[in-house]
Amino acid sequence: MAHVTINQYLQQVNEALDNHEGSFCSELLSFKHPHVVNPRLQLASPEEKCQQLLEPPYDEMVAAHLRSIYAVSNHDFVEAYKFQTLVVQSFLRAFQSHKEENWALPMMFTVTLDLRIFANNAEQQLQKKGKGHPGEMLEKAAEQLMSCFRVCASDNRAGIEDSKKWGMMFLSNQLFKIYFKINKLHLCKPLIRAIDSSNLKNDYSLAQKVTYKYYVGRKAMFDSDFKPAEEFLSYAFHHCHPSCQKNKRMILIYLLPVKMLLGHMPTHQLLRKYDLMQFADVTKSVSEGNLLLLNEALSKHETFFIRCGIFLILEKLKIITYRNLFKKVYLLLRTHQLPLDAFLVAMKMMQLDDVDLDEVQCILANLIYMGPIKGYISHQHQKLVVSKQNPFPPLSSVP
Amino acid sequence: MNRRRAPRRISHSQRRDAAPAAAGGGGGGDWRQRTEEQCRVQGKAQVRDGERDERREHHGKHAVPSGTCQTMCPARELRDRELQNRLHRFELLAGTERDRRPRGDPLCAVKEYSRPAAGKDSTNPTDLRPPAVLLKTVFYLIDDIAASPHLRPWTEVYSFAFDRLRGVKQDMIIQRVSGLTCVAILERAVRFLIYASFRLCGEPLRIYDPRINDTHLQENLSWLLDCYATGTGPHPNQEELQALGLLYNLGSARAAQHVMELPERLRSSPAIALALSINRAFLERNPVRLLRLARRLNFLQSCALHRHLVTCGRDLLLIYSHGYSSRNCRFPLDRLAGLLSLDEALAARLCRAYGVVVNQDDKLVFSKAAFTEPEQGKLHCRLYHNVVAEKQRDLSVGNIIHNCAWDKYKKSKSSLHVE
Repeated sequence: MAHVTINQYLQQVNEALDNHEGSFCSELLSFKHPHVVNPRLQLASPEEKCQQLLEPPYDEMVAAHLRSIYAVSNHDFVEAYKFQTLVVQSFLRAFQSHKEENWALPMMFTVTLDLRIFANNAEQQLQKKGKGHPGEMLEKAAEQLMSCFRVCASDNRAGIEDSKKWGMMFLSNQLFKIYFKINKLHLCKPLIRAIDSSNLKNDYSLAQKVTYKYYVGRKAMFDSDFKPAEEFLSYAFHHCHPSCQKNKRMILIYLLPVKMLLGHMPTHQLLRKYDLMQFADVTKSVSEGNLLLLNEALSKHETFFIRCGIFLILEKLKIITYRNLFKKVYLLLRTHQLPLDAFLVAMKMMQLDDVDLDEVQCILANLIYMGPIKGYISHQHQKLVVSKQNPFPPLSSVP
Repeated sequence: MNRRRAPRRISHSQRRDAAPAAAGGGGGGDWRQRTEEQCRVQGKAQVRDGERDERREHHGKHAVPSGTCQTMCPARELRDRELQNRLHRFELLAGTERDRRPRGDPLCAVKEYSRPAAGKDSTNPTDLRPPAVLLKTVFYLIDDIAASPHLRPWTEVYSFAFDRLRGVKQDMIIQRVSGLTCVAILERAVRFLIYASFRLCGEPLRIYDPRINDTHLQENLSWLLDCYATGTGPHPNQEELQALGLLYNLGSARAAQHVMELPERLRSSPAIALALSINRAFLERNPVRLLRLARRLNFLQSCALHRHLVTCGRDLLLIYSHGYSSRNCRFPLDRLAGLLSLDEALAARLCRAYGVVVNQDDKLVFSKAAFTEPEQGKLHCRLYHNVVAEKQRDLSVGNIIHNCAWDKYKKSKSSLHVE
């Protein structure tokens, strides 16, 4: 296969197309397949050959694919991207004419995946030369993927077996990757709605579902919907293939902050196993109610947390840290009527020097409102009166 | 790419604005069909060249339109509107106002915003103003319209300036103006819209629609932030505008993430650091801290923040209703008024609106059961206006929009303007 001639290659494609062998066709169009390094296929102008041997629009598709191979062999990803766009466009024309058939779905997966990868590479190449603008190529790629998505989503005539709707989740996942990269999360919403309302949503492959839940979970997290975020990300984590440590680590980067906000602290072993020790001090400081350490831990790994987009969410852990600090005050004083001054002293110990009693009361009021402290503040007596039973209920039990 | 298309980076909302007529929805909601107009808009240029920040020359298939009109209003439009009696009263030639068909003053008339529509050619060079003229137009709109002590009422001033600024933006989009001129225009547009969002807050909907003002503000802002991100600068006002953007979009994860991704040098500048602290206080639901930090804001920053003050006051009453919920406990009104930065009468009104009982000796009885959300529209944001308005002091509208105040602010951080 690696050294077939151009004629042999085109014949293989032709046969595979005729026989509706979707996965074999997809291999013949894939940049993961060895044929792309075959020097006999690296042609500058394969158009004529393709026209002789293939039916339109496949001739155009394969010609563009070969041009793309040629561009990649020259390390020109901008060019490769351009031709891959053509591949997707001509594929889509063919795909649309496949009425009530979906055998070509594997091809769609391959050509769209390669399109996104090339867009990425092309963008990097342009950036290096100081040309182009961040997100430009990826946005264009997203438009192509979206036109594929539309074709899939609107396939209402075919029966479940032959429906193109089976392509929706794969495309959504590719689009999520782009939208997260270019920071346009609001564009995810229509995709999620489309998948949510689809009756296939539970029947996609596990791999696709894991990716999907990972992104939907991250999206929920940024919308501050922490409960659903935990649900989606936990699903992704537990169903992710055990050999994909790297993916599991990526899921954890988002699952950990969400879990912590909901009161579940990760163990040291877990952090070590997934090489996420950046979280170790954060976890420790939150559990200990050590605001000083929390601020230190956050600024120490600031770059990492900002890059992952979780810095602001980790900052929310302060609220829980206050609660744990105040609980210590309670344990020390061993009374149910706690002078507000004591909390102020505790805050000053954490070097929060600009805090005064008004702010202490505000923080306490918020904790009472949210549920992790049970009691009330008496302004006249300047005291926090905590409940005799369970004044600091475990966070995980707080609704 | 040998056939290089004009680079583009433009938010989807801008595209939508440029071609509202083309909003034929695709399957995906945010994806719309392209029209010619949109394709042009897509190519809205980016500044790579700080020094030569005008329209980029173009090698592609479609050339970028480039205006030749040297007046604020194209001659043809002036004539047409004169004939149709569609001149605004701010545009009339002095002495002809009472005529049956008043004449337009070429020095006062400004090109209207006109909705793109099928078959309408908006690329005619004689109808487009080059960047320098656009900037001049913006200065006119600020100095002679928005800041004029003679033109009244200000609601009309606003609607005129709003429309004409929109026209300026449209000309910029069509010609893909970028670079320093673009930044200078957008900065002023953003300040104007932020100031208006405060000054006109509470006006009847037919006069001022906060929603529409907000949409335009967000578009101008996101374009401006794009310019900052891709242009080479220098952008001396960047920290001011970044801070305004965050304060205006307080609590928005996207706005905050954007600021977090700025270089450390910018992030730690006083204005942005303060805005970040306020945002943090908002996320932690610590209204006491938020309002305290808000006292350090200058006038325009306070305008940007002011739309969140209602939420902030509500949050305070909500958590206090829970935290101080005990039948025998009382909370002094003057104390709460201090926390809210309101006078006692207003604080009492606010409390009652949320179901918090104020008894005869000016003590509050908080109760979590009694807290209620007020009916929509019953509670006016105007309650807070004094707090903001106090900071205006002797600042004129012109100063505010041109950011003269900012220079003073930067020079002496402990000066009167910072309080």
